[in-house]
Amino acid sequence: MNPSRNSNPERGKTLVLLLTLLNMVLVATISALQVDVTVRSNQANRDSQYYAIQVTGSLVQTGAQSEFDLNTYSKWLADTQQSLVAGYSALQRHSANDQAGYERLTFESLIYQAQAEQAKTLSVLLTDPAYAPASDQASPNVSAYYSDINADSVALVQKQNDASDAYHRWNNKSDSYVAVLTVLAIAFFLLGVAQMSQPNIRLLFSAFATGVISIGFIWALIILIF
Amino acid sequence: MDNPQGKSDRLAIWIAVLTALVSLTTALAAWRTAALGSTAGDLIYQGMLNAVKKQAGANEDWRQAYQEAGYARDYLVFLNGLLVRENSTDPATQEQAAQLRTYLLPGMKSLATSLGTNPSYYTTGGLLNVQKRFNDLEKQSSDLSSLDPQAFFSQSDNYYTEQRWLVVGTILIAVSLFWLGLSQLSHLRPRVLILVLGIIVYGVGLVWCLGVEVIFFFLRGGVL
Repeated sequence: MNPSRNSNPERGKTLVLLLTLLNMVLVATISALQVDVTVRSNQANRDSQYYAIQVTGSLVQTGAQSEFDLNTYSKWLADTQQSLVAGYSALQRHSANDQAGYERLTFESLIYQAQAEQAKTLSVLLTDPAYAPASDQASPNVSAYYSDINADSVALVQKQNDASDAYHRWNNKSDSYVAVLTVLAIAFFLLGVAQMSQPNIRLLFSAFATGVISIGFIWALIILIF
Repeated sequence: MDNPQGKSDRLAIWIAVLTALVSLTTALAAWRTAALGSTAGDLIYQGMLNAVKKQAGANEDWRQAYQEAGYARDYLVFLNGLLVRENSTDPATQEQAAQLRTYLLPGMKSLATSLGTNPSYYTTGGLLNVQKRFNDLEKQSSDLSSLDPQAFFSQSDNYYTEQRWLVVGTILIAVSLFWLGLSQLSHLRPRVLILVLGIIVYGVGLVWCLGVEVIFFFLRGGVL
């Protein structure tokens, strides 16, 4: 055992200073990373909210649009049915030798038919080849129509979900970096105690601080990579 | 002639003054970094408010456009039926048609304006051009439709970018504080070397921060 080494009160102070410098560089780097991920988190949160607002607008528009288009189709359907019923009834009256009834109902059928024709020109479900029925007996392709008018809303919801996921990811990273900074603050405390202690105790505290710094460094690496 | 102890004391005073100056600069840089983040957050808040207002206006315009489209459809469909009635050879039906045109049609027409009565609101395929009507309604409510949330978001991105760069300078200044502290504790020989190192790091950090401020000041068109 070397008594002169043990009696040197400055022993280990350089090591403590170097560890302090290393810890400071780590803290500075992680602080910068924490600011960066916080900014990313804020931007993703903003995008998420902005897309959510746009989704509500898109749904309001498609709701009004589908209501109008289906009502127009419904109007055409009702007028067409009324025209057919009136025409059929007119034939019945003709068979019953009721000429006046026949003419009145035939004329009524014409009125409904004219109304149905006008409704048809205004209906996207009856005029657009993508949705129009293939025959008089068939129905329009309503599912394709809904799929098309909701396409924008679905795309916006996807963007909103992506932005929301990004927000949570960055926010979790930000929180984790704060935890790492707290760990490194503990290392600062241990190094401070080491600097003020007796040489033997100083080395022990330096070892503890090194362990804490290592934990903080590995943790920061894990956050950075994953 | 000064003795080494006197030199050391004078140097210690200078280091103390420098340390105070660097501490002040660190505090200022940290405040500015935080203020930039806060300004960016305020801009996002303002942009979001504008986005809500703009979307609420657009929602109302869509609702109105399709409500008018419904009135226009009812008017046009009824009008077609009425034309058939008017072409009837039956005097009673003709009289009924005349009454309908006089008393019912004007009310329906007034509700159907503009989509049902203005030919410019028809597509080439004969459908009602609701999109055009919506665009016109948006022009009429330009106080809401002209709001531009993206402009606020772009500004906030600008402040966030400056914040990122300024953090680097702030860290450099903070690191210089460590070197100044170290020089105060050191012996005379390495003391000056560590002090010079601290001053260099501080200078780089300060120039960095000032440079970032000046560049972004001009990028924002003279706004701090």
